[in-house]
Amino acid sequence: MGVEPVRRCPAGHWGRIGPRRVHGCLLLPALVLAMLFSPGPALLAAPNPVYMHQPDAPAAATGEPSVTASAGTAAPGAEPPVLTIATWGGAYEQAQRAALFEPFTARTGIEIRVAEYDGGLTELRARHADGGVTWDLVDMTMSDTLTACREGLLRPLPQDDLPPSPEGAPAHRDFIPGALTRCGIAHTAYATVIAYDRRAFPGIRPERVADLFDLERFPGRRALQEAPFGNLEWALHAYGVPTADLYRLLSTRRGLRLALAKLDAVAHQVTWWQDGATPARLLEHGEVVMASGYNGRFFAAMADRGAPIEILWDGQIQELENWTITAGSRHPAAALRFIRWATGTDALTRFARHLPYGPARRSASRRVAGHVGTGIDMQPHLPTHPSNDRNAIVKDVQWYARTHDRIRAIFRRWLRARAPTPVLRPDQ
Amino acid sequence: MTDHPPPHRAELSLTLVVTLGAGVGLVVGALTASFVLAIFALNDWLLISPRARMMFEHRGWLAAVTVVVPMLGGLVVGLLHRFIAEGRAHGPPDVIAAVQTSRGRLPLHPGLLSALSSLVSLGSGASVGQYGPLVHMGGTLGSLGARLLRAGRADGNIAIACGVAAAIATAFKAPLAGILFAHEVVLRHFALRAFAPVAAAAIAGYVMEDLVFERPPLFHVAAAEILHRWEYLVFLAMGAAGALVAAAYLRAVLGAARLAPRTRIPALLRPAAAGAVLGTAALWVPDILGIGAETLRFATIAGAIPPPELALILVAKLLATALCLGFGFSGGVFSPALLIGALFGALCGNAVALLTGGVQATMVVYAVAGMVAVTAPVIGAPMATLLIVFELTGSYSLTTAALASVALANLTGARVFGRSLFDVQLRRRGLDLSAGRSRALLQGQPIAPLVQPAPVTLPPGMSNADAIDLLGRRGRAEGYLVDADGGYRGTVTLAALEARRGQGDGAAEDAAEPARPVVTADSSLWMAVDQARNLTGEALPVVERGGRRLVGVLPEVALSRAHVETLDAVRREEHGGG
Repeated sequence: MGVEPVRRCPAGHWGRIGPRRVHGCLLLPALVLAMLFSPGPALLAAPNPVYMHQPDAPAAATGEPSVTASAGTAAPGAEPPVLTIATWGGAYEQAQRAALFEPFTARTGIEIRVAEYDGGLTELRARHADGGVTWDLVDMTMSDTLTACREGLLRPLPQDDLPPSPEGAPAHRDFIPGALTRCGIAHTAYATVIAYDRRAFPGIRPERVADLFDLERFPGRRALQEAPFGNLEWALHAYGVPTADLYRLLSTRRGLRLALAKLDAVAHQVTWWQDGATPARLLEHGEVVMASGYNGRFFAAMADRGAPIEILWDGQIQELENWTITAGSRHPAAALRFIRWATGTDALTRFARHLPYGPARRSASRRVAGHVGTGIDMQPHLPTHPSNDRNAIVKDVQWYARTHDRIRAIFRRWLRARAPTPVLRPDQ
Repeated sequence: MTDHPPPHRAELSLTLVVTLGAGVGLVVGALTASFVLAIFALNDWLLISPRARMMFEHRGWLAAVTVVVPMLGGLVVGLLHRFIAEGRAHGPPDVIAAVQTSRGRLPLHPGLLSALSSLVSLGSGASVGQYGPLVHMGGTLGSLGARLLRAGRADGNIAIACGVAAAIATAFKAPLAGILFAHEVVLRHFALRAFAPVAAAAIAGYVMEDLVFERPPLFHVAAAEILHRWEYLVFLAMGAAGALVAAAYLRAVLGAARLAPRTRIPALLRPAAAGAVLGTAALWVPDILGIGAETLRFATIAGAIPPPELALILVAKLLATALCLGFGFSGGVFSPALLIGALFGALCGNAVALLTGGVQATMVVYAVAGMVAVTAPVIGAPMATLLIVFELTGSYSLTTAALASVALANLTGARVFGRSLFDVQLRRRGLDLSAGRSRALLQGQPIAPLVQPAPVTLPPGMSNADAIDLLGRRGRAEGYLVDADGGYRGTVTLAALEARRGQGDGAAEDAAEPARPVVTADSSLWMAVDQARNLTGEALPVVERGGRRLVGVLPEVALSRAHVETLDAVRREEHGGG
């Protein structure tokens, strides 16, 4: 810690140093002294910017685990904290463990405990209200991040000190546009897609979103998420509404009515899923012929288990996934340290070799190569690949951030009204 | 409008004109794109756009906001218009008038105020169009460019057309339509000298838009097919019927403008009153608020709006637009016409589906055909409208449907009410363009500079012999009788005096020509030419307006030379090869 200030305040340059700089030069040694005399906990509770000057910052830029740096993580004598990370489970969690959590622990000695998280803010709100927040980090969608940030559930994050790309491009230019928000640092672009069973339709195959709703040409059950997201967009897109107009039209009563009418037509053939691992499993077991789901999960089923699944990239809905720190986190400094490391070029590249989610950094996108297990080239499986990106729907995260509760209520009301149908289904 | 640029100022070099066009195109392109984006931003901010309304979390306040925003917008617009001499925003008719009468310039100050007031109107949700203001803004900037280069009036006209073309090219991302619109609506001729700079301007605007602004196309249609060949007959018929819808729309707009002063609401408050009415109506029919892009999209989807609702929205939008424009909001007629036309087309599509026993009609084709059928007669530009469809949709089959529907639309429209709303508005202001450009030019040119002092004046009581003597001495064949008060009492010719010489010595007055035509001093060249048809002598006597005092005479030679020169200038401008 002492190295930096000394380099910044060479005696020979006093003449060129302004008053503010002098102030800073006096402050930093003072802080160093203070830290030396007050042990570990003080360091971990220190405000984020101080933490950013940890000596391992340059190592984080390359993303290489640095053995020497780990010694300086916590002040001498302190027990390293245990970070609790709420994330999405299944193949996704396994990829994160292998690509991020285990290397991070090995490098820093900071243990990581994983908590189950299925999206939404209900649980976080409840825990925040009664002061029982045990999560330090949450892997959150962009729309949830924006809402949670507005509601004060998350801690604002400093962004000016994220490591640059290996080529030296500053972070704000290496990250794709919109990746850095007040309370979140995006790590991957995931896509919600429609996938189908290759065995189901001999001779033809679905090509457009509209085919999801075409029971005549593509008969069979569908698995759709029990949530408005995705379903409403696709239903309206199936009428021929261009992707850019979807959310403007869904903002009208007429648009919502149209979308729900389209869903009505297939609802009797729908199995509703909640957990992101379900749709791939249903497809794999032949229980449904088409399903919505996350592209990474479908890929995992194809790559790891050879499932006969094909992804329909038309109308894929992209959204950024963020690392966020809860407002009630007890280890914000360690959590921030994790984020800075896990959003570095190397960590992002490593993760994308497990699951085909598009890295939020350009430098990482360029580096993604073969799948760790099978060696399959990951590039054509990334949602951000140009051939997959031709007719993508960009999720209007601001819109969802403001309307999610209302849209969800409308959707639930509609679903309740439909409820008898699936029950009647076996008698038909 | 009194400071006419000299008619025969040297023409700019062609390179300079093209450069001027490109420069105007770049500036207008940047401003047009900003203008469109500013409307979007204001609509979001002021809770006009459905997306912003949906995202607004204080649901209880939404109704109040819906009424108050257009009302306050109207108040601002009313205030802004007080600073414009005519008390109204300028628009495309002013552009057309400036070019067609070769007054050749659009004043900057009211131009800027008009752009601002239309931005407020559109931003606060008034049911008006955005392209009229853009066309006027483009024309104004083009005119400014021409003045900076001290161009003559022919080049001034070209510069105005450049601005107009760039505005349309940028707003619709349709450079071809921009070029054609400028020629069809503004210039009304296809001279090569004008084409080059106008094309440069349209391309510059388009490129500027593409480079600097990331804006989705205004109306994107993925794919459309015409299922049956007989549908072209339907589109033809829709063209004629659409012209009638357009006529109703224009009559409503003009009628509201006449009605407004009779309501006794002070001009300052009229837009605010219209805004309050509009906002209140929008609580039941939200589709009438603003530009209505969402409703336009729904009109292209089969089954999205049931036919009775289509008809209701059509009528409501028509009346709302008439109300807003008539009561002083600032804006165009094009965008509302697009929506009205799309609704009309969707109604036709539903009718066809009903008549043919539920043949699945491709609704988007009918909506587009309806759009064209209503819009083209309103703005008087069939070709430009067609190209807008082509460039917006990129679909050839849609364009052929539009072609079928536009074929009869403009002709029917012209029979029912006139070439376009702009021409009708100008005619009401005393500028008739129906007989073409040369008439407008002659009407716009005063005779004052051609009037000469009367060469021989005679008191009415002068004897016949004295009159002959006086004319003989002056070497003239005509004399003008002027009484002691300077009043004109008639014209005598030497021939008439000679004919009466033998019949006793009467007064010169008795020989006065009974039907010699007279013009007043403030007449236009057009009126003088018209009067001169019955002229057998040398000159037209010119008297003061509203009185009998003889101001001078307009010699026939001078009159016919001015006539020929004016027509010649028109011919040169319209056939100028560079």
